[in-house]
Amino acid sequence: MNPEFVALLSRFLKYATPDQITDDAALHDLGLDSMQSIELLFAIEDDFGVSLPDEALTESTFATAGSLWAAVRTARGDAP
Amino acid sequence: MTAVAATAVDLAGRVERVTAVAREHARRTDDEAVFPTEALAELRASGLLALVVPAAYGGLGGGPAELIDCAESLARADLSVALIFAMHCQQVATVVRYGGDELRATLLPRIAAGERYLASVTTAAGTGGHLLSATAPLRDTGEGLLIERFAPIVTGGAHADGFLITMGSPGTDAPGQVCLVYAEREQLRITESGQWQPMGMRASHSVALRLTGTVPRHQLIGAEHGFREISLALFSPLAHLGWAACWLGAAAGALSRVATLLRSPDGRQRFDHRSELLLTRLARARHRIDAVHALLRHTQHIVEDGGDLSAAPVQMLLNGLKVTAAESCRQAVEELVDAVGLRHGYFKDSDTYLERVLRDLRSAALNYHNDRLDLADGRHVLLDRKVTHVGG
Repeated sequence: MNPEFVALLSRFLKYATPDQITDDAALHDLGLDSMQSIELLFAIEDDFGVSLPDEALTESTFATAGSLWAAVRTARGDAP
Repeated sequence: MTAVAATAVDLAGRVERVTAVAREHARRTDDEAVFPTEALAELRASGLLALVVPAAYGGLGGGPAELIDCAESLARADLSVALIFAMHCQQVATVVRYGGDELRATLLPRIAAGERYLASVTTAAGTGGHLLSATAPLRDTGEGLLIERFAPIVTGGAHADGFLITMGSPGTDAPGQVCLVYAEREQLRITESGQWQPMGMRASHSVALRLTGTVPRHQLIGAEHGFREISLALFSPLAHLGWAACWLGAAAGALSRVATLLRSPDGRQRFDHRSELLLTRLARARHRIDAVHALLRHTQHIVEDGGDLSAAPVQMLLNGLKVTAAESCRQAVEELVDAVGLRHGYFKDSDTYLERVLRDLRSAALNYHNDRLDLADGRHVLLDRKVTHVGG
């Protein structure tokens, strides 16, 4: 995960310290609720200039910081 | 209908060709209340006019499921184009099942080649869309069957290449004895009358026609008193499935455009996506659409199963589909108009074009009037005291 993405996540995860935001960090456990998920999505799309396809907007995409970052990278067309 | 020859991918590509053309011309055809000739040309070229023509005659061999798929997709772009298509398929399926060998052999390959777009002449003045009421009887003149018929509303009537026409059965003046006959445009003298300036469905260009002509006996479809059976077993069920698919597509397309707007950068500025009222309205629109979808697919499976569709519980299911789809799809779009307000809900120039869809969907309850179906089903309820659910 790049630093901008971690910084963005930390704005939405009020109870997480920066070192807790790892690839495996479960976003719901760190306080992300369903309304915040929508706001986080909008923030990601604005800050990273991407649009996540509807098919990617699943529970599993939003499960961990790493899974969400992978979806962003896919939407950006990054090499896997 | 026969097994499906067309693959889903094959159909999706054809439908996309037509929706692209329909979308390009939809605003103008609505403004000017003119028939979508460009979309019809693409329906011909794409092979979709032959959707329900069996593969043996050169068609795509689709059944109710494919009709619903295609009609819903087309309606997401333009409800008028979808309705024109669905009604054509209803006519073709009737020829496929009830036409004689000679008619099938001559007509079906021409439909498969995209050369014949069929319209339905099944309403008569003063019957409110009732299918089983008599017009003047068909007369056998010795040279053939003489058609003399006025029809107050024929969707696509000025552009169709052929017509399925209900007439009174030959040799009877009894109302309710109705037969179905096919006539090509070239076999008829056709006079158009009246103006076409409706609230919505403006591109369906439904005109009043006076039709006169003589056709060979083999163009009678089914028996001389046969339309009642055709109507119960195929014609009405396919109408209700096709219409419901069209209305569902119109509402689903509207919700899709609204969701896309709300997710867009401009939409995020303009709308408060935390508003509980906005979120609730979106949910209610979605729930109505999902309920219609479930009812439509359930009814489709009952029709495909090929059982007796005349039983009261099945008739209520078929009629209930039409009534529910007509009401719920309009209500879903009303919710969306309230959700997004004047600029995107009421103005013609919004990319959501909710304004057009709402006008179009207002016709749904009137297109074979819901009141008539409710009356019929009120009687059906009294015939099914156990309240039997259809299909388990």
